[in-house]
Amino acid sequence: MQQGGGSETEVTWEDQQNINKFGRLNNRFHELEVEIKVAKESNENLEDASNELILTDEDVVRFQIGEVFAHVSKDEVEARIEQMKEVTTKNLEKLEEEKDSVVAQMAELKKILYGKFNDSINLEED
Amino acid sequence: MASSSATTIASPSSSGSGITERRGIPGAQFVEDVQTYLNQLGLDVTSALAVLQERLQQYKLVEMKLLAQQRDLQAKIPDIEKCLDVVATLQAKKGTGEALVADFEVAEGIYSRASIEDSDSVCLWLGANVMLEYSCEEATALLQKNLDNAKASLEVLVADLQFLRDQVTITQVTIARVFNWDVHQRRMRLSPAVKDS
Repeated sequence: MQQGGGSETEVTWEDQQNINKFGRLNNRFHELEVEIKVAKESNENLEDASNELILTDEDVVRFQIGEVFAHVSKDEVEARIEQMKEVTTKNLEKLEEEKDSVVAQMAELKKILYGKFNDSINLEED
Repeated sequence: MASSSATTIASPSSSGSGITERRGIPGAQFVEDVQTYLNQLGLDVTSALAVLQERLQQYKLVEMKLLAQQRDLQAKIPDIEKCLDVVATLQAKKGTGEALVADFEVAEGIYSRASIEDSDSVCLWLGANVMLEYSCEEATALLQKNLDNAKASLEVLVADLQFLRDQVTITQVTIARVFNWDVHQRRMRLSPAVKDS
């Protein structure tokens, strides 16, 4: 938090709560960025896997379940991968939505806080 | 978290500002007015800043501990989900009568083939060198319960971390305000002296 040049703007409990909320949202934003990156990677891997599957001419594929690779028929693997892709895509959508909401709330709070404190507060990423 | 500072802050004058503590984490007192706060503490600016800084360090320590716990839980949850997956697969295979063929790791980089016959039971590793045999249904129920508990603990932990971070923010803002107030006081004391001379 930037230390201002001794300005006299008083900080009310409501201001403090807004600052706290901004902090929480900022943390959640960073967590979401990481989660979204992981979900995107997972999606890409599933895409690659399903592409490889089309290319292979084996009937039995070693599909990882838990820590072992079970011998599963190609059709079943295709179905499983499709299902996993759906789940990951839905999850990704949910995460993106949450991220948009968080960014919007942060913009609102920035307006309020900069409005009251102007230069005495710094809400940017360093 | 035992407070090591000599002054016990009995917060009377602050407004209904937040909870006083949560699961062992003391709440940070919100300061309405810096002058009143300093009088209440009976400390000068430097000592007050020192007390606040110390509080901040204590909060940071607790934060590290909670973050470590969170990482552990976040690693445990996918593990339990994988186990549930395996048990579900075994159960699905039960009806068909065919054996499940799987490649598993014997040592790093070395795999071997296993043929898992139809079975009604699985063994679950419970920790502390204990492994018990369960029927597939019981195993699923146990693993599901563990998963639910882990997820619930994680939620509580996340809420704790949020509370902690709020207290850190309040303390940081208080430090900035005390510092600014001091700068302001010094300026006010200097300017009349300059005018007079």
